[in-house]
Amino acid sequence: MKLRHALTISCATDAGLVRNFNEDSVVADNDFGVVILADGMGGYKAGDVASGMATMIIGNELKEKFGKGVGRSNGVDLETELLRDAVTRANTAIHHAAHNKSQFQGMGTTVVITLFRDNVVTIAHAGDSRLYRLRNDKLEQLTMDHSLLQEQVQLGLITAEDARVSHNRNLVTRALGVNQTIAVDIRQERALPGDIYLLCSDGLNDMVDDADIELAMVSIKENIPLLVQQLVTMANDNGGHDNISVAAIKVEKPFPLRTGFFARWFGAAA
Amino acid sequence: MAKLVLSMNGSVLGNYFLEKERFTIGRKPACDIQINDQGVSKEHAVILTVGNDQILEDLGSTNGTQINGQGAKRQILQNGDVIEVGRYRLKYVNQKAMPDMDFDKTLMIPAFDRTKLSVEGAEKTGEDTASISTAVANARNVKTVFPLGVVRGIGGAVMGREIELVRAITPLGKPGGSAIISRRPGGYYITHVAGKKYPVVNGKSIGEAPLALDNLDQIEVGADKLQFYLR
Repeated sequence: MKLRHALTISCATDAGLVRNFNEDSVVADNDFGVVILADGMGGYKAGDVASGMATMIIGNELKEKFGKGVGRSNGVDLETELLRDAVTRANTAIHHAAHNKSQFQGMGTTVVITLFRDNVVTIAHAGDSRLYRLRNDKLEQLTMDHSLLQEQVQLGLITAEDARVSHNRNLVTRALGVNQTIAVDIRQERALPGDIYLLCSDGLNDMVDDADIELAMVSIKENIPLLVQQLVTMANDNGGHDNISVAAIKVEKPFPLRTGFFARWFGAAA
Repeated sequence: MAKLVLSMNGSVLGNYFLEKERFTIGRKPACDIQINDQGVSKEHAVILTVGNDQILEDLGSTNGTQINGQGAKRQILQNGDVIEVGRYRLKYVNQKAMPDMDFDKTLMIPAFDRTKLSVEGAEKTGEDTASISTAVANARNVKTVFPLGVVRGIGGAVMGREIELVRAITPLGKPGGSAIISRRPGGYYITHVAGKKYPVVNGKSIGEAPLALDNLDQIEVGADKLQFYLR
C-alpha cells in the first residue's frame, strides 16, 4: 500500500534572516511514509554535508529495506530495528567522513525521523530537533531534546520557564557523526486520523513558542502546505536567527498493513 | 571569560574570574570571594557554571541575595546583572551572556558529569516533562510598531462581534479555518486556508496569495462579513 492517500506531507526549509547558509536538510517520501529532518553543524559548510548525508543515507536505507518487501513485525519490533540500523549506518558514514577529510572535521548533525506504517508512527531522534503532535487541537512534544538545556531542567538546576533566558540553547548532547556510536531514542505511537505531526529544527522552536505553534496548527490544519509556510514566516518575523526547517504530516485516514495471501505473495511493501 | 566586579558604596574592591564549576561567595575564608561582613552568611551564595550558563544560587543565607534589586533563589545570570550580598555589590560581566544575543552555532558537548554539580535544594527529579520553552524571551512576539488591528462583525453569524487581532494568527470562518489573519511586523495579512470560496476583500476575491489589509477594509469569509480597522 502506498501511503500517499493516507498521509498529507509538506516540508519547508529556509536559511532564516541571519545565517548565510542553510545547514538543515529535510527529506520526505509519500509512498513509504518516511520523513527525515536533520540540523547540521560544524565548519565552513560542513554542517550542510553532515545533515545531507544523514537524510540521504537514512532515506535510502529505509527505501531499500521496504523495497525488498518486509512484512509485519512477527513480534520482533521491525520498525524500531530498521530505524536503529539506518541511523547507525548514517552515524558511521558521517563519522568516517569527518575523520578522513580535514574540511569535514568536527561536523555532525541532529536527526528526527518519523516512519508511518500499519497505523503506527515510529519516532527516532538524536539531538535537539523535535517532533510535535497536534491531537484534538492540543499540542504535545513527543521527543525530549538531547541538549544541555534539557538536562539542566531535568536536574532541577533551572525551571522550564527559565530555559528562555539560558545561554545553552546551542549545546546538544547527542549528534550523528561525532562519536563512533550513537544512542538514538526510538518510540512508537498509534497514529490516528486527524493527527498532525510536526518535525522541526530549533530555528522554529527557538523563535516561535509552543502556544503560537499550536495556534498555527489549529488554525491551518486544513491546509498543510500553508501551515509549514506560515510557521517558517512566523520564525522569520520573530527574528529568524537560525535555519528553519519544518515538516508536517497529517493522517487523513487509517493505514493498516495488508495481510494474508496477497500481501505475502507480493511482499507487503510499506 | 565571565567575571564579577566587587564593589561597595561605588568603589571597586576587586575583579574575580568565574573559572570554577562551583564558585562560592561568603564570609568563610574558604570561599572564592570572601566578604568579611556580618551581613554576609558563612556560605552565602554559589555560582554554578553549566555550559554557557552561570546560575546564581542563594545557599539559604540569613539576609538573602538580590539580583537587580529582586530577591533571588536560583537564577541564570545575564550580562550586567548586579548581585547584592549584604552591603556589597557584584556586577556580572559576560559578553556571551546577553539576553538578546544572536545564536551561536550549534555545538556538540559530551553529556556533562552530573555528579560534579551537587545542587543543594534542587529536586532530584526536576521537571521530567519533555516540553521546555526554548523560544527566546525577546522573540516571543512580533514587535509591532503599528496600531492594534480589530475586526468587527457587520453581517452573518459574527454580527456585532469584535475581535482584537492580538495573536500571531486569528482564524476566521469555520473551525479548522476558512481563512486566517496573521499579524506580521509590517501589518496584518489575510490568507485563504481551505474551502472552495476565497475570502473577498472590498468586493474582490483575494485568491491564493496573502493580502495586506488596510484600515476600514471590508472582509467576507463565507457568510460572515467583517470590517477591519486599526485602533
